[in-house]
Amino acid sequence: MIHTKKLTKTYRLFEKEAGLSGSIKSLFNRKYTYKTALSDFDLDISEGEFVGLIGPNGAGKTTLIKLLTGIIAPTSGEISVLGYYPNKLENSFKMQYAVVMGQKSQLFFELTAADTFLLFKELYNIPADVYQKNLDYFVSLFDVGDLLNVQVRTLSLGERMKMELIAALLHSPRVLFLDEPTIGLDAVAQRQIRMFLRDVNKEKGTTIILTSHYMENIKSLCKRCVVINQGEKIYDGSTDFLFEKYQVHKKITLHFAEPTDFALPQGCEIIEKNPLKCAFFAPFESTQQIAYAMMRQYELSDITIEEDEIGSVVERIYNNRAGE
Amino acid sequence: MNKYLEVAKISFKAQIVYIFDVCIAAVYMVTKILFAYVLWGAVFRENETVAGFTYPAMFTYYIFSSFLSQIELSGNVSEEISSSIRRGTFSKFMVIPAGTQTYFIAQTFGVMLFYLVFILAASVAWTVLFRARFMMTSNPVLILEAIIMIILGLVFMIQLNYFLGILAFKYLDISAFLMIKSNVVAFITGSLVPLSLLPDAVITVMRIFPFYYVTYLPSMLLIGKNTEEALTGIIVLSAWFLLFTVLNKIAYNKLRVIYDGVGI
Repeated sequence: MIHTKKLTKTYRLFEKEAGLSGSIKSLFNRKYTYKTALSDFDLDISEGEFVGLIGPNGAGKTTLIKLLTGIIAPTSGEISVLGYYPNKLENSFKMQYAVVMGQKSQLFFELTAADTFLLFKELYNIPADVYQKNLDYFVSLFDVGDLLNVQVRTLSLGERMKMELIAALLHSPRVLFLDEPTIGLDAVAQRQIRMFLRDVNKEKGTTIILTSHYMENIKSLCKRCVVINQGEKIYDGSTDFLFEKYQVHKKITLHFAEPTDFALPQGCEIIEKNPLKCAFFAPFESTQQIAYAMMRQYELSDITIEEDEIGSVVERIYNNRAGE
Repeated sequence: MNKYLEVAKISFKAQIVYIFDVCIAAVYMVTKILFAYVLWGAVFRENETVAGFTYPAMFTYYIFSSFLSQIELSGNVSEEISSSIRRGTFSKFMVIPAGTQTYFIAQTFGVMLFYLVFILAASVAWTVLFRARFMMTSNPVLILEAIIMIILGLVFMIQLNYFLGILAFKYLDISAFLMIKSNVVAFITGSLVPLSLLPDAVITVMRIFPFYYVTYLPSMLLIGKNTEEALTGIIVLSAWFLLFTVLNKIAYNKLRVIYDGVGI
Protein backbone atom coordinates (compact mmCIF):
# COMPACT_ATOMS: atom_id res chain seq x y z
CA MET A 1 0.00 0.00 0.00
CA ILE A 2 2.84 2.39 0.87
CA HIS A 3 6.28 1.86 -0.53
CA THR A 4 9.38 4.02 -0.47
CA LYS A 5 12.90 3.14 -1.48
CA LYS A 6 15.94 5.33 -0.94
CA LEU A 7 13.56 8.25 -0.51
CA THR A 8 15.47 11.48 0.03
CA LYS A 9 14.36 15.05 0.58
CA THR A 10 16.77 17.96 0.72
CA TYR A 11 15.64 21.48 1.58
CA ARG A 12 17.40 24.61 0.39
CA LEU A 13 17.62 27.12 3.24
CA PHE A 14 18.32 30.82 2.94
CA GLU A 15 21.06 31.94 5.29
CA LYS A 16 22.20 35.41 6.27
CA GLU A 17 24.39 37.02 8.88
CA ALA A 18 22.68 38.73 11.81
CA GLY A 19 22.18 42.51 11.85
CA LEU A 20 21.49 45.23 9.30
CA SER A 21 24.78 44.78 7.43
CA GLY A 22 24.02 41.07 7.07
CA SER A 23 20.61 41.91 5.62
CA ILE A 24 22.10 44.37 3.12
CA LYS A 25 24.85 41.91 2.13
CA SER A 26 22.27 39.21 1.54
CA LEU A 27 20.53 41.48 -0.99
CA PHE A 28 23.53 41.23 -3.29
CA ASN A 29 25.01 37.92 -2.31
CA ARG A 30 22.42 35.36 -1.29
CA LYS A 31 23.72 32.32 0.48
CA TYR A 32 21.95 29.02 0.74
CA THR A 33 22.62 25.93 2.74
CA TYR A 34 21.18 22.51 2.09
CA LYS A 35 19.61 20.32 4.72
CA THR A 36 18.76 16.69 4.14
CA ALA A 37 15.54 16.12 6.04
CA LEU A 38 15.11 12.52 4.90
CA SER A 39 17.85 10.27 3.60
CA ASP A 40 17.66 6.94 1.71
CA PHE A 41 14.47 6.09 3.53
CA ASP A 42 12.94 2.66 2.89
CA LEU A 43 9.45 1.92 4.12
CA ASP A 44 6.72 -0.59 3.34
CA ILE A 45 3.30 -0.44 4.99
CA SER A 46 0.47 -2.89 4.36
CA GLU A 47 -3.28 -2.26 4.33
CA GLY A 48 -4.85 -2.04 7.80
CA GLU A 49 -1.62 -1.39 9.71
CA PHE A 50 -1.37 1.21 12.47
CA VAL A 51 2.18 2.52 12.32
CA GLY A 52 3.77 5.05 14.63
CA LEU A 53 6.52 7.40 13.51
CA ILE A 54 8.71 8.51 16.39
CA GLY A 55 11.61 10.87 16.53
CA PRO A 56 12.79 14.11 18.10
CA ASN A 57 11.98 17.53 16.62
CA GLY A 58 13.49 17.96 13.17
CA ALA A 59 13.96 14.21 12.71
CA GLY A 60 12.05 14.16 9.41
CA LYS A 61 8.65 12.77 10.51
CA THR A 62 6.58 15.63 9.11
CA THR A 63 8.67 15.67 5.94
CA LEU A 64 7.82 12.00 5.45
CA ILE A 65 4.09 12.70 5.93
CA LYS A 66 4.30 15.59 3.44
CA LEU A 67 6.01 13.34 0.90
CA LEU A 68 3.48 10.55 1.34
CA THR A 69 0.54 12.94 0.91
CA GLY A 70 2.10 14.62 -2.14
CA ILE A 71 2.40 18.05 -0.53
CA ILE A 72 6.09 18.15 -1.37
CA ALA A 73 8.13 16.44 -4.04
CA PRO A 74 11.03 14.12 -3.20
CA THR A 75 14.56 15.07 -4.19
CA SER A 76 15.30 11.47 -5.19
CA GLY A 77 14.22 7.89 -4.58
CA GLU A 78 11.05 5.88 -5.14
CA ILE A 79 7.67 6.58 -3.58
CA SER A 80 4.28 4.97 -4.13
CA VAL A 81 1.11 5.35 -2.07
CA LEU A 82 -1.97 3.32 -3.08
CA GLY A 83 -0.24 2.81 -6.43
CA TYR A 84 0.09 6.54 -7.09
CA TYR A 85 3.05 8.88 -7.23
CA PRO A 86 1.78 11.28 -4.54
CA ASN A 87 3.19 14.55 -5.84
CA LYS A 88 1.19 14.19 -9.06
CA LEU A 89 -1.73 15.17 -6.80
CA GLU A 90 -4.34 13.31 -8.81
CA ASN A 91 -7.87 13.74 -7.50
CA SER A 92 -8.45 9.97 -7.62
CA PHE A 93 -5.52 9.61 -5.19
CA LYS A 94 -6.68 12.43 -2.91
CA MET A 95 -10.13 10.83 -2.66
CA GLN A 96 -8.52 7.81 -0.97
CA TYR A 97 -6.53 9.36 1.82
CA ALA A 98 -6.90 11.99 4.52
CA VAL A 99 -4.37 13.97 6.46
CA VAL A 100 -4.73 15.74 9.79
CA MET A 101 -1.96 18.01 10.90
CA GLY A 102 -2.21 19.18 14.48
CA GLN A 103 -1.38 22.76 13.63
CA LYS A 104 -3.06 23.14 10.25
CA SER A 105 -6.81 23.25 10.32
CA GLN A 106 -9.24 22.35 7.55
CA LEU A 107 -12.20 23.81 9.44
CA PHE A 108 -13.74 27.20 8.73
CA PHE A 109 -13.35 29.03 12.01
CA GLU A 110 -16.18 31.51 11.43
CA LEU A 111 -18.68 28.76 10.70
CA THR A 112 -19.80 25.59 12.42
CA ALA A 113 -18.16 22.19 12.01
CA ALA A 114 -21.37 20.99 10.32
CA ASP A 115 -20.81 23.61 7.58
CA THR A 116 -17.32 22.24 6.89
CA PHE A 117 -18.69 18.68 6.85
CA LEU A 118 -21.22 19.70 4.18
CA LEU A 119 -18.40 21.16 2.10
CA PHE A 120 -16.41 17.94 2.46
CA LYS A 121 -19.48 15.93 1.46
CA GLU A 122 -19.47 17.72 -1.89
CA LEU A 123 -15.69 17.87 -2.30
CA TYR A 124 -15.39 14.11 -1.85
CA ASN A 125 -18.65 13.37 -3.63
CA ILE A 126 -19.94 11.33 -0.68
CA PRO A 127 -23.41 9.81 -1.27
CA ALA A 128 -26.00 11.23 1.15
CA ASP A 129 -26.62 7.89 2.93
CA VAL A 130 -22.90 7.15 3.39
CA TYR A 131 -22.33 10.69 4.63
CA GLN A 132 -25.09 10.44 7.21
CA LYS A 133 -24.01 6.98 8.32
CA ASN A 134 -20.37 8.03 8.75
CA LEU A 135 -21.30 11.28 10.44
CA ASP A 136 -23.57 9.49 12.94
CA TYR A 137 -20.90 6.88 13.62
CA PHE A 138 -18.06 9.34 14.28
CA VAL A 139 -20.23 11.81 16.19
CA SER A 140 -21.40 9.06 18.52
CA LEU A 141 -17.82 7.77 18.98
CA PHE A 142 -16.74 11.20 20.16
CA ASP A 143 -20.08 12.14 21.67
CA VAL A 144 -19.97 15.59 20.07
CA GLY A 145 -23.54 15.82 18.75
CA ASP A 146 -24.23 18.99 20.70
CA LEU A 147 -21.15 20.74 19.25
CA LEU A 148 -21.91 20.31 15.55
CA ASN A 149 -23.75 23.62 15.24
CA VAL A 150 -21.39 25.67 17.39
CA GLN A 151 -19.02 28.17 15.76
CA VAL A 152 -15.63 26.44 15.42
CA ARG A 153 -13.64 29.34 16.89
CA THR A 154 -15.50 28.94 20.17
CA LEU A 155 -14.60 25.25 20.52
CA SER A 156 -11.78 24.11 22.78
CA LEU A 157 -8.58 22.74 21.22
CA GLY A 158 -9.65 19.15 21.98
CA GLU A 159 -13.14 19.63 20.57
CA ARG A 160 -11.69 21.22 17.44
CA MET A 161 -9.33 18.29 16.91
CA LYS A 162 -12.23 15.86 17.23
CA MET A 163 -14.03 17.80 14.48
CA GLU A 164 -10.89 17.76 12.31
CA LEU A 165 -10.75 13.99 12.62
CA ILE A 166 -14.42 13.60 11.77
CA ALA A 167 -14.02 15.86 8.71
CA ALA A 168 -11.01 13.81 7.60
CA LEU A 169 -12.82 10.49 7.90
CA LEU A 170 -16.22 11.32 6.37
CA HIS A 171 -15.20 10.01 2.95
CA SER A 172 -13.95 6.69 4.38
CA PRO A 173 -10.30 7.12 3.35
CA ARG A 174 -8.16 4.01 2.99
CA VAL A 175 -5.18 5.74 4.59
CA LEU A 176 -5.16 8.32 7.34
CA PHE A 177 -2.03 10.36 8.01
CA LEU A 178 -1.88 12.00 11.41
CA ASP A 179 0.84 14.50 12.28
CA GLU A 180 0.82 15.24 16.01
CA PRO A 181 -2.97 15.11 16.36
CA THR A 182 -2.88 15.32 20.15
CA ILE A 183 -0.39 18.14 20.51
CA GLY A 184 -1.39 20.53 23.28
CA LEU A 185 -4.38 18.44 24.37
CA ASP A 186 -5.13 17.47 27.96
CA ALA A 187 -4.98 13.85 29.12
CA VAL A 188 -8.74 13.28 28.79
CA ALA A 189 -8.93 14.54 25.21
CA GLN A 190 -5.82 12.54 24.31
CA ARG A 191 -7.41 9.37 25.67
CA GLN A 192 -10.66 10.00 23.78
CA ILE A 193 -8.75 10.51 20.54
CA ARG A 194 -6.73 7.35 21.13
CA MET A 195 -9.91 5.32 21.65
CA PHE A 196 -11.42 6.88 18.54
CA LEU A 197 -8.41 6.04 16.38
CA ARG A 198 -8.27 2.49 17.70
CA ASP A 199 -11.94 2.02 16.74
CA VAL A 200 -11.46 3.51 13.29
CA ASN A 201 -8.50 1.25 12.59
CA LYS A 202 -10.26 -1.84 13.89
CA GLU A 203 -13.82 -1.31 12.66
CA LYS A 204 -13.19 0.46 9.37
CA GLY A 205 -9.85 -1.15 8.54
CA THR A 206 -8.31 2.25 7.86
CA THR A 207 -4.53 2.22 7.58
CA ILE A 208 -3.18 4.82 9.98
CA ILE A 209 0.24 6.44 10.07
CA LEU A 210 0.72 8.49 13.21
CA THR A 211 3.49 10.80 14.31
CA SER A 212 3.46 11.75 17.95
CA HIS A 213 5.68 13.02 20.71
CA TYR A 214 3.58 11.27 23.29
CA MET A 215 4.83 7.79 24.15
CA GLU A 216 1.42 6.77 25.37
CA ASN A 217 -0.11 7.35 21.92
CA ILE A 218 2.44 5.15 20.23
CA LYS A 219 2.49 2.46 22.91
CA SER A 220 -1.23 2.02 23.13
CA LEU A 221 -2.08 2.32 19.43
CA CYS A 222 0.71 1.14 17.19
CA LYS A 223 1.84 -2.47 16.98
CA ARG A 224 4.63 -1.33 14.72
CA CYS A 225 6.72 1.76 15.00
CA VAL A 226 9.41 3.43 12.97
CA VAL A 227 12.00 5.55 14.70
CA ILE A 228 13.55 8.38 12.70
CA ASN A 229 16.56 10.41 13.67
CA GLN A 230 18.21 13.07 11.53
CA GLY A 231 16.35 11.85 8.47
CA GLU A 232 17.39 8.23 8.84
CA LYS A 233 15.41 5.21 9.91
CA ILE A 234 17.03 3.76 13.00
CA TYR A 235 14.35 1.29 14.06
CA ASP A 236 11.45 -0.43 12.31
CA GLY A 237 9.62 -3.15 14.17
CA SER A 238 7.50 -4.13 17.12
CA THR A 239 6.54 -1.29 19.46
CA ASP A 240 6.51 -3.64 22.48
CA PHE A 241 10.04 -4.78 21.74
CA LEU A 242 11.22 -1.20 21.29
CA PHE A 243 9.90 -0.12 24.67
CA GLU A 244 11.04 -3.27 26.46
CA LYS A 245 14.53 -2.82 25.16
CA TYR A 246 14.99 0.92 25.17
CA GLN A 247 12.62 2.39 27.72
CA VAL A 248 14.83 1.78 30.73
CA HIS A 249 13.33 4.10 33.31
CA LYS A 250 10.46 6.38 34.26
CA LYS A 251 10.56 9.81 35.83
CA ILE A 252 9.05 10.12 39.32
CA THR A 253 8.40 13.58 40.77
CA LEU A 254 7.53 13.96 44.45
CA HIS A 255 6.07 17.09 46.02
CA PHE A 256 6.45 17.06 49.80
CA ALA A 257 3.83 18.43 52.17
CA GLU A 258 6.61 19.95 54.33
CA PRO A 259 10.40 20.40 53.97
CA THR A 260 11.86 16.90 53.86
CA ASP A 261 15.29 15.35 53.85
CA PHE A 262 14.93 12.93 50.97
CA ALA A 263 17.03 9.78 50.54
CA LEU A 264 17.35 8.53 46.95
CA PRO A 265 16.27 4.86 46.56
CA GLN A 266 18.86 2.45 45.29
CA GLY A 267 19.29 2.24 41.52
CA CYS A 268 17.71 5.66 40.90
CA GLU A 269 19.22 8.76 39.35
CA ILE A 270 18.49 12.25 40.68
CA ILE A 271 17.27 14.99 38.32
CA GLU A 272 16.21 17.76 40.70
CA LYS A 273 16.14 18.03 44.47
CA ASN A 274 15.07 20.65 47.03
CA PRO A 275 13.35 20.36 50.45
CA LEU A 276 9.86 20.55 48.90
CA LYS A 277 10.35 18.71 45.64
CA CYS A 278 12.39 15.87 44.22
CA ALA A 279 12.51 14.40 40.71
CA PHE A 280 14.45 11.27 39.79
CA PHE A 281 14.68 8.46 37.26
CA ALA A 282 13.61 5.04 38.54
CA PRO A 283 14.31 1.71 36.80
CA PHE A 284 11.39 0.90 34.52
CA GLU A 285 10.58 -2.50 36.06
CA SER A 286 10.57 -1.27 39.68
CA THR A 287 8.80 2.11 39.20
CA GLN A 288 5.60 0.87 40.82
CA GLN A 289 7.26 -0.51 43.96
CA ILE A 290 9.37 2.63 44.39
CA ALA A 291 6.32 4.88 44.02
CA TYR A 292 4.42 2.87 46.68
CA ALA A 293 7.42 3.01 48.98
CA MET A 294 7.67 6.79 48.57
CA MET A 295 4.00 7.23 49.42
CA ARG A 296 4.41 5.17 52.59
CA GLN A 297 7.69 6.76 53.60
CA TYR A 298 6.98 10.48 53.04
CA GLU A 299 4.17 12.97 53.59
CA LEU A 300 3.41 13.85 49.92
CA SER A 301 1.20 16.57 48.48
CA ASP A 302 1.54 15.19 44.97
CA ILE A 303 3.30 12.48 42.96
CA THR A 304 3.65 12.14 39.18
CA ILE A 305 5.09 9.31 37.13
CA GLU A 306 6.06 10.10 33.55
CA GLU A 307 7.16 7.93 30.65
CA ASP A 308 10.65 8.29 29.25
CA GLU A 309 10.83 11.09 26.71
CA ILE A 310 10.92 10.06 23.09
CA GLY A 311 14.21 11.89 22.67
CA SER A 312 15.87 9.71 25.33
CA VAL A 313 14.62 6.50 23.74
CA VAL A 314 15.85 7.61 20.33
CA GLU A 315 19.21 8.56 21.80
CA ARG A 316 19.56 5.08 23.32
CA ILE A 317 18.70 3.35 20.03
CA TYR A 318 21.14 5.59 18.23
CA ASN A 319 23.93 4.92 20.73
CA ASN A 320 23.17 1.21 20.64
CA ARG A 321 23.48 1.17 16.84
CA ALA A 322 26.70 3.13 16.97
CA GLY A 323 28.11 0.62 19.44
CA GLU A 324 27.18 -2.41 17.31
CA MET B 1 -19.69 21.20 -10.23
CA ASN B 2 -21.55 20.75 -6.96
CA LYS B 3 -18.32 20.93 -5.01
CA TYR B 4 -17.51 24.39 -6.34
CA LEU B 5 -21.07 25.54 -5.67
CA GLU B 6 -20.59 24.40 -2.08
CA VAL B 7 -17.27 26.29 -1.90
CA ALA B 8 -19.08 29.46 -3.04
CA LYS B 9 -21.85 28.81 -0.53
CA ILE B 10 -19.50 28.36 2.39
CA SER B 11 -17.66 31.59 1.49
CA PHE B 12 -20.97 33.43 1.32
CA LYS B 13 -21.96 31.99 4.72
CA ALA B 14 -18.61 33.03 6.21
CA GLN B 15 -19.20 36.61 5.06
CA ILE B 16 -22.62 36.89 6.63
CA VAL B 17 -21.12 36.20 10.04
CA TYR B 18 -19.51 39.64 10.06
CA ILE B 19 -22.47 41.97 9.97
CA PHE B 20 -20.31 45.06 10.67
CA ASP B 21 -18.45 44.46 7.39
CA VAL B 22 -21.79 44.42 5.58
CA CYS B 23 -22.70 47.82 7.00
CA ILE B 24 -19.29 49.33 6.24
CA ALA B 25 -19.37 48.07 2.66
CA ALA B 26 -22.83 49.56 2.14
CA VAL B 27 -21.83 52.88 3.74
CA TYR B 28 -18.68 52.98 1.61
CA MET B 29 -20.71 52.56 -1.58
CA VAL B 30 -23.20 55.22 -0.50
CA THR B 31 -20.29 57.59 0.24
CA LYS B 32 -18.97 57.02 -3.26
CA ILE B 33 -22.36 57.85 -4.74
CA LEU B 34 -22.58 60.98 -2.62
CA PHE B 35 -19.11 61.98 -3.77
CA ALA B 36 -20.09 61.49 -7.42
CA TYR B 37 -23.30 63.43 -6.89
CA VAL B 38 -21.45 66.45 -5.47
CA LEU B 39 -18.38 66.29 -7.76
CA TRP B 40 -20.10 65.81 -11.08
CA GLY B 41 -22.91 68.16 -10.02
CA ALA B 42 -20.29 70.91 -9.59
CA VAL B 43 -18.55 70.10 -12.89
CA PHE B 44 -21.77 70.06 -14.90
CA ARG B 45 -23.11 73.28 -13.38
CA GLU B 46 -21.07 75.25 -15.94
CA ASN B 47 -21.19 72.74 -18.84
CA GLU B 48 -23.94 70.80 -20.53
CA THR B 49 -21.54 67.99 -21.56
CA VAL B 50 -18.00 66.95 -20.63
CA ALA B 51 -16.08 64.73 -23.09
CA GLY B 52 -19.40 63.69 -24.64
CA PHE B 53 -21.00 62.82 -21.29
CA THR B 54 -24.13 64.49 -19.99
CA TYR B 55 -24.54 64.75 -16.24
CA PRO B 56 -26.87 61.71 -15.90
CA ALA B 57 -24.56 59.64 -18.15
CA MET B 58 -21.46 60.58 -16.15
CA PHE B 59 -23.21 59.97 -12.84
CA THR B 60 -24.53 56.60 -13.99
CA TYR B 61 -21.13 55.61 -15.37
CA TYR B 62 -19.54 56.45 -12.06
CA ILE B 63 -22.10 54.41 -10.12
CA PHE B 64 -21.62 51.33 -12.31
CA SER B 65 -17.84 51.48 -12.43
CA SER B 66 -17.61 52.07 -8.66
CA PHE B 67 -19.96 49.20 -8.04
CA LEU B 68 -17.98 46.87 -10.31
CA SER B 69 -14.65 47.85 -8.80
CA GLN B 70 -16.07 47.24 -5.33
CA ILE B 71 -17.32 43.74 -6.11
CA GLU B 72 -14.05 42.96 -7.88
CA LEU B 73 -12.44 41.24 -4.89
CA SER B 74 -9.83 39.19 -6.67
CA GLY B 75 -7.05 40.93 -4.74
CA ASN B 76 -7.90 38.69 -1.78
CA VAL B 77 -6.92 35.65 -3.86
CA SER B 78 -3.29 36.67 -4.35
CA GLU B 79 -3.06 37.78 -0.71
CA GLU B 80 -4.50 34.52 0.61
CA ILE B 81 -2.41 32.29 -1.65
CA SER B 82 0.86 34.10 -1.00
CA SER B 83 0.38 34.31 2.77
CA SER B 84 -0.62 30.64 3.03
CA ILE B 85 2.43 29.62 0.99
CA ARG B 86 4.68 31.68 3.25
CA ARG B 87 3.08 30.26 6.40
CA GLY B 88 3.17 26.71 5.07
CA THR B 89 -0.61 26.28 5.24
CA PHE B 90 -1.19 26.12 1.48
CA SER B 91 -1.02 22.34 1.84
CA LYS B 92 -4.68 22.36 2.92
CA PHE B 93 -5.64 23.32 -0.65
CA MET B 94 -3.30 20.72 -2.13
CA VAL B 95 -4.75 17.72 -0.31
CA ILE B 96 -8.42 18.22 -1.19
CA PRO B 97 -9.76 16.74 -4.42
CA ALA B 98 -10.51 20.02 -6.16
CA GLY B 99 -8.70 22.19 -8.69
CA THR B 100 -7.04 25.02 -6.77
CA GLN B 101 -7.77 27.67 -9.39
CA THR B 102 -11.44 26.73 -9.66
CA TYR B 103 -11.62 26.54 -5.87
CA PHE B 104 -10.43 30.15 -5.59
CA ILE B 105 -12.76 31.29 -8.37
CA ALA B 106 -15.71 29.70 -6.56
CA GLN B 107 -14.61 31.08 -3.21
CA THR B 108 -14.29 34.62 -4.59
CA PHE B 109 -17.66 34.42 -6.32
CA GLY B 110 -19.20 33.45 -2.98
CA VAL B 111 -17.79 36.61 -1.40
CA MET B 112 -18.74 38.70 -4.46
CA LEU B 113 -22.30 37.48 -4.25
CA PHE B 114 -22.47 38.71 -0.71
CA TYR B 115 -21.25 42.20 -1.69
CA LEU B 116 -23.44 42.16 -4.78
CA VAL B 117 -26.57 41.66 -2.73
CA PHE B 118 -25.86 44.18 0.01
CA ILE B 119 -24.12 46.91 -1.97
CA LEU B 120 -26.66 46.72 -4.77
CA ALA B 121 -29.45 47.13 -2.24
CA ALA B 122 -27.71 50.17 -0.70
CA SER B 123 -27.05 51.73 -4.12
CA VAL B 124 -30.61 51.27 -5.34
CA ALA B 125 -32.04 52.63 -2.09
CA TRP B 126 -29.84 55.68 -2.27
CA THR B 127 -30.50 56.55 -5.90
CA VAL B 128 -34.23 56.14 -5.40
CA LEU B 129 -34.18 58.18 -2.22
CA PHE B 130 -32.32 61.11 -3.77
CA ARG B 131 -34.09 60.74 -7.09
CA ALA B 132 -30.75 60.79 -8.86
CA ARG B 133 -30.99 61.13 -12.61
CA PHE B 134 -30.06 57.72 -13.94
CA MET B 135 -29.36 56.95 -17.58
CA MET B 136 -29.24 53.20 -18.16
CA THR B 137 -29.77 51.50 -21.50
CA SER B 138 -33.00 49.58 -22.01
CA ASN B 139 -31.54 47.46 -24.83
CA PRO B 140 -31.62 43.83 -23.55
CA VAL B 141 -28.83 42.71 -25.92
CA LEU B 142 -26.50 45.39 -24.58
CA ILE B 143 -27.37 44.48 -21.00
CA LEU B 144 -26.70 40.79 -21.73
CA GLU B 145 -23.38 41.62 -23.40
CA ALA B 146 -22.41 43.75 -20.42
CA ILE B 147 -23.28 40.95 -17.99
CA ILE B 148 -21.24 38.39 -19.98
CA MET B 149 -18.34 40.85 -20.03
CA ILE B 150 -18.62 41.49 -16.29
CA ILE B 151 -18.54 37.77 -15.48
CA LEU B 152 -15.62 37.11 -17.85
CA GLY B 153 -13.80 40.15 -16.50
CA LEU B 154 -14.23 39.10 -12.88
CA VAL B 155 -13.06 35.56 -13.63
CA PHE B 156 -10.06 36.92 -15.51
CA MET B 157 -9.11 39.16 -12.59
CA ILE B 158 -9.23 36.14 -10.25
CA GLN B 159 -7.04 34.24 -12.70
CA LEU B 160 -4.55 37.11 -12.80
CA ASN B 161 -4.40 37.28 -9.01
CA TYR B 162 -4.15 33.52 -8.77
CA PHE B 163 -1.15 33.69 -11.09
CA LEU B 164 0.49 36.41 -8.98
CA GLY B 165 -0.33 34.47 -5.80
CA ILE B 166 1.34 31.26 -6.95
CA LEU B 167 4.48 33.20 -7.82
CA ALA B 168 5.02 33.08 -4.04
CA PHE B 169 6.08 29.45 -4.52
CA LYS B 170 9.20 30.88 -6.13
CA TYR B 171 9.58 34.39 -4.69
CA LEU B 172 7.78 34.02 -1.33
CA ASP B 173 7.25 37.78 -1.05
CA ILE B 174 5.15 39.04 -3.95
CA SER B 175 4.12 42.40 -2.48
CA ALA B 176 6.02 44.32 -5.19
CA PHE B 177 4.10 42.47 -7.93
CA LEU B 178 0.82 43.16 -6.15
CA MET B 179 1.56 46.86 -5.71
CA ILE B 180 2.37 47.31 -9.39
CA LYS B 181 -0.71 45.33 -10.39
CA SER B 182 -3.13 47.27 -8.21
CA ASN B 183 -1.88 50.66 -9.44
CA VAL B 184 -1.94 49.64 -13.08
CA VAL B 185 -5.35 48.00 -12.80
CA ALA B 186 -6.92 50.96 -10.97
CA PHE B 187 -5.87 53.23 -13.82
CA ILE B 188 -6.49 50.94 -16.78
CA THR B 189 -9.88 49.69 -15.69
CA GLY B 190 -11.17 53.24 -15.73
CA SER B 191 -12.26 53.11 -12.13
CA LEU B 192 -10.35 56.36 -11.49
CA VAL B 193 -11.09 58.29 -14.69
CA PRO B 194 -13.35 57.43 -17.67
CA LEU B 195 -10.96 56.13 -20.29
CA SER B 196 -12.57 58.26 -22.97
CA LEU B 197 -10.82 61.24 -21.38
CA LEU B 198 -7.47 59.70 -22.35
CA PRO B 199 -5.76 60.13 -25.79
CA ASP B 200 -6.98 57.79 -28.56
CA ALA B 201 -3.58 56.14 -28.98
CA VAL B 202 -3.54 55.13 -25.32
CA ILE B 203 -7.05 53.70 -25.54
CA THR B 204 -6.15 51.72 -28.67
CA VAL B 205 -3.29 50.03 -26.82
CA MET B 206 -5.49 49.37 -23.79
CA ARG B 207 -8.03 47.58 -25.98
CA ILE B 208 -5.58 44.75 -26.49
CA PHE B 209 -5.39 44.19 -22.75
CA PRO B 210 -8.29 42.77 -20.76
CA PHE B 211 -8.51 45.51 -18.11
CA TYR B 212 -10.30 47.86 -20.49
CA TYR B 213 -13.21 45.41 -20.53
CA VAL B 214 -13.41 44.70 -16.81
CA THR B 215 -14.99 47.87 -15.49
CA TYR B 216 -14.89 50.54 -18.13
CA LEU B 217 -16.57 48.95 -21.15
CA PRO B 218 -19.38 47.16 -19.26
CA SER B 219 -20.16 50.46 -17.51
CA MET B 220 -20.21 52.26 -20.86
CA LEU B 221 -22.43 49.59 -22.40
CA LEU B 222 -24.87 49.92 -19.53
CA ILE B 223 -25.27 53.62 -20.29
CA GLY B 224 -25.70 52.84 -24.00
CA LYS B 225 -22.25 53.98 -25.19
CA ASN B 226 -19.43 52.22 -27.11
CA THR B 227 -21.93 49.61 -28.29
CA GLU B 228 -19.83 48.70 -31.34
CA GLU B 229 -17.07 47.43 -29.04
CA ALA B 230 -19.19 44.88 -27.19
CA LEU B 231 -18.38 41.86 -29.36
CA THR B 232 -14.69 42.72 -29.56
CA GLY B 233 -14.67 43.02 -25.77
CA ILE B 234 -16.17 39.58 -25.26
CA ILE B 235 -13.73 38.03 -27.75
CA VAL B 236 -10.67 39.73 -26.22
CA LEU B 237 -11.71 38.79 -22.67
CA SER B 238 -12.40 35.20 -23.72
CA ALA B 239 -8.96 34.99 -25.30
CA TRP B 240 -7.31 36.27 -22.11
CA PHE B 241 -9.43 33.90 -20.05
CA LEU B 242 -8.26 30.93 -22.13
CA LEU B 243 -4.66 32.12 -22.09
CA PHE B 244 -4.63 32.40 -18.30
CA THR B 245 -6.43 29.07 -17.87
CA VAL B 246 -3.54 27.38 -19.66
CA LEU B 247 -0.84 29.63 -18.17
CA ASN B 248 -2.04 29.06 -14.60
CA LYS B 249 -2.23 25.32 -15.08
CA ILE B 250 1.34 25.18 -16.37
CA ALA B 251 2.66 27.66 -13.78
CA TYR B 252 0.98 25.85 -10.89
CA ASN B 253 2.29 22.43 -11.92
CA LYS B 254 5.78 23.82 -12.43
CA LEU B 255 5.95 25.97 -9.29
CA ARG B 256 4.22 23.80 -6.70
CA VAL B 257 6.99 21.19 -6.89
CA ILE B 258 9.39 23.68 -5.31
CA TYR B 259 7.00 24.18 -2.38
CA ASP B 260 8.52 23.03 0.91
CA GLY B 261 5.44 23.50 3.06
CA VAL B 262 7.49 24.97 5.86
CA GLY B 263 6.16 27.67 8.11
CA ILE B 264 3.98 26.95 11.11
